[in-house]
Amino acid sequence: MPTSATIAAHVLDLASHFNNVGASRAEDTSAGRFNVWGNSFAAEHLPSAGSQVVVDGVPFQLPPLGTGTPDNVRCDGQFVRVAPGRYDWLYLLASAERRVEDEMALHFAHGAVDFEPLRVSDFWAAPATFGETRAFESPLMHYPHHVQFGVPAAMWCQRVPVVRRADLTAVRLPHNIAVHVFAATLVGPVEEANR
Amino acid sequence: MTATAITTEGAEPAVRPGATESADRAGRRPVQALRRPLLWYRDPLSCLQTTFAAVVDAAGGDPLEVLGAGWEFRHLPGDVRTEEFYHPSRHPEDLGRSIAPHHHVRSRWTTPAADRDPLSELADEIAAGRLPIAAVDNFHLPFRPAYHDVHAAHLVVVYGVDLARDLVLVSDAQPPAFTGPIRAEDFLAAWGSVNPADDQDAFFSATRIDRRYLRVEIGDSRPLDRDGLRAALRANVDGFTAAPASDGGAWTGLAGLRRYLDEVVAAAAAGDSATVRDVYPFGWSMQAQACLHGELLRTVGVDRDLPCLREAGRAVEAVGHTWSGLRVTAAHGWPAPQAAAESLEHHGARLQQRYQCAVEAVDRAVGRL
Repeated sequence: MPTSATIAAHVLDLASHFNNVGASRAEDTSAGRFNVWGNSFAAEHLPSAGSQVVVDGVPFQLPPLGTGTPDNVRCDGQFVRVAPGRYDWLYLLASAERRVEDEMALHFAHGAVDFEPLRVSDFWAAPATFGETRAFESPLMHYPHHVQFGVPAAMWCQRVPVVRRADLTAVRLPHNIAVHVFAATLVGPVEEANR
Repeated sequence: MTATAITTEGAEPAVRPGATESADRAGRRPVQALRRPLLWYRDPLSCLQTTFAAVVDAAGGDPLEVLGAGWEFRHLPGDVRTEEFYHPSRHPEDLGRSIAPHHHVRSRWTTPAADRDPLSELADEIAAGRLPIAAVDNFHLPFRPAYHDVHAAHLVVVYGVDLARDLVLVSDAQPPAFTGPIRAEDFLAAWGSVNPADDQDAFFSATRIDRRYLRVEIGDSRPLDRDGLRAALRANVDGFTAAPASDGGAWTGLAGLRRYLDEVVAAAAAGDSATVRDVYPFGWSMQAQACLHGELLRTVGVDRDLPCLREAGRAVEAVGHTWSGLRVTAAHGWPAPQAAAESLEHHGARLQQRYQCAVEAVDRAVGRL
């Protein structure tokens, strides 16, 4: 597994795409609405809003979790431009409203496009069905009117391969509102990313 | 005849005809299953599969094999009910036979005799060695997250009745998972609830509970041998590829799937909220079934070193995972269905592709068994 010291990482800025509140605080659980039932992560059990974290050796910029403002991208085909460059993986901090298999479109210089699978496990009391790393977990679930012990909420670290040896320029997120992305980072070989 | 009347919000008076006076009840020994029901859970499953799993396990069967051997698409127009345990039954009066078509599982909905204490009837069932599966309204169950908040039709396994202490022992594998006694008063309120329409849960409320319970009979639960597995998989594949029935009844197989998805998209475009809303409860039964079947094929593929079966299982699981997009889009979109029509069409097309690939993969695997 690569470490932050051995990889070149490009942290994506997703803020302009945030459109959902996935984490709430215990004093205002109804502020969150990750799923159709109004369940949300307990922000008290997640890293601080806006902090930098490292998962699987990859740095991520966390969103404003628990502030009542949108903190994730509920995927609906958003087009995200990236700093053009050679990358090996797109790492995501993501979770899903029920387990999901879908795909992303990776756009490269000169017009090439590859579709790659994105698989994300359920956030609601579920295992890592697709072999993800359990990045963060709130051991309890926020409901609109109460805090529920015994139902954990998981945020997964998943990755999508960038197999084409060409400059990546943008990614299109899945057309699937069951998938939520909290943070994303592209990683690649040092010699490629530092060109 | 004596009766105990209990009134709780959202429930009809929980009259217990035939309930004995407390002095008599005090002398009644509790009735309880010989062992605690298995809590068997997978995240795509509803209470339908998890409660049957406990009953299958208690009878010595393997829940994954018994509940995972069948795989089909079946839609019964006009039949979808707003219950967590809705399933489009192949055998209308026999839910167990419908969800476990390749094993001897039978069930029928029952309601207690009008002149008896309903809890006594459940106690008799347990004393006879059966585990009744009771329909309940989550609103009245203290261990459910929806307690005194949201009405929703759910299932629990009843594994004991203590008339002397007014307790009912229930088991529920759905998170947060619970096994233990609750007050008879709470159980009766949940069991007798009218489960009124609830704005917080349009998918599983507004269906009466009416003190229904499933009496389940499990027959021979020996594992399927290679011939048995081959026959089961062949029957499943044939069900998908058969020509659609012309009798106007069930929509089955790949043709039925196409017809169903076309209907959902057309309904959304026409502003038909109810049809779009029903995708969520209906799709749960199809999603759970696909995930269980896929897991079974992968498991058997490991046990018997059959890579083709593992691959087929994974293809079937992908069907289950693709249901999420359709279900969640419908769940969020049903109040304004026209805005969701395009997304529903997208997910429907993807789902058809996944079913087609999975049926072909299982067909290939059958040929190599």
